[in-house]
Amino acid sequence: MIKPTIITWIIAIFGTIIFLPLMVAQLIMILKPQSQKTKDLIIGKGEDWRDKTHFKSALAFAWADWLVVLPLFILGNLGVFNGQLWGYVLWLALGILSVYFSILLWILEKEYTYTKSGWLVYYTYFWGFFLYWGIAATSYSILKII
Amino acid sequence: MKFFTKEIGSYPFGVWIALFALILIFLAWLMQAYSLINWEGAVKLGVQDESFTGDMTERAMADVERGVAIADILWALPITIIAFIGLLRKEFIGFIAAMMVFAICVYFPLFYIFRESTSFDIVLAVIFLWAVPSLFGISGLWMNRNIFEK
Repeated sequence: MIKPTIITWIIAIFGTIIFLPLMVAQLIMILKPQSQKTKDLIIGKGEDWRDKTHFKSALAFAWADWLVVLPLFILGNLGVFNGQLWGYVLWLALGILSVYFSILLWILEKEYTYTKSGWLVYYTYFWGFFLYWGIAATSYSILKII
Repeated sequence: MKFFTKEIGSYPFGVWIALFALILIFLAWLMQAYSLINWEGAVKLGVQDESFTGDMTERAMADVERGVAIADILWALPITIIAFIGLLRKEFIGFIAAMMVFAICVYFPLFYIFRESTSFDIVLAVIFLWAVPSLFGISGLWMNRNIFEK
């Protein structure tokens, strides 16, 4: 039994704040991939898909997020707040994916999103928060279970 | 699932499965490393699907693939090495690192499947070389989690 602490709560709440809007946006992407509302949410207000590849990659990320990220987040939180080792292992898995996406999106998307959104938005909810959450969840889980 | 805990030599069967999965994954990172050094050579070998000499769509896809390759080498490869050595030494850090690597290798095959434009051969390869072994690796390690020293 691993007792949750105040840091557990902070990471869980921070995770909910960043992953919940992402999951809503990804669900809209799955349901109405070509609607302007989807494009506004995923790419930016009034924007369009750069090309077919951009669209297909975004759709694939949406499906993979719903099938992997969402279950990892929900089950991870359940496990962590029940003091279970598997909860922290799921947080670790999601944390590592979060850092991995951050590296990937830095390479693929920064030239487009950074220019449009500006540094503050980019280094917070557009990109930065997922990296910070990934690092926090991974480090904290390792410290708790080792 | 009891066979996962059956001892074969120095390790339980589940740990052997995880080690085998990590070797397969390590091969993937080697292919990614080779692609970054010689992209068009990797396309000729069939390691990569999209060429930078093709039309605009193909070049855009190649750019995505190169991004994935860079992320694999910067992040996933070092964790895979830690996982492999850690598992061999029966250390808990190996268990943790292996779980992290397996999470990446379960997620990305799904991305390739849903992207549709990836060739069928590559989809089959990522499913049977990485996703399925990773799922077995996760089960094998979880069943034997108590053998790893903290």
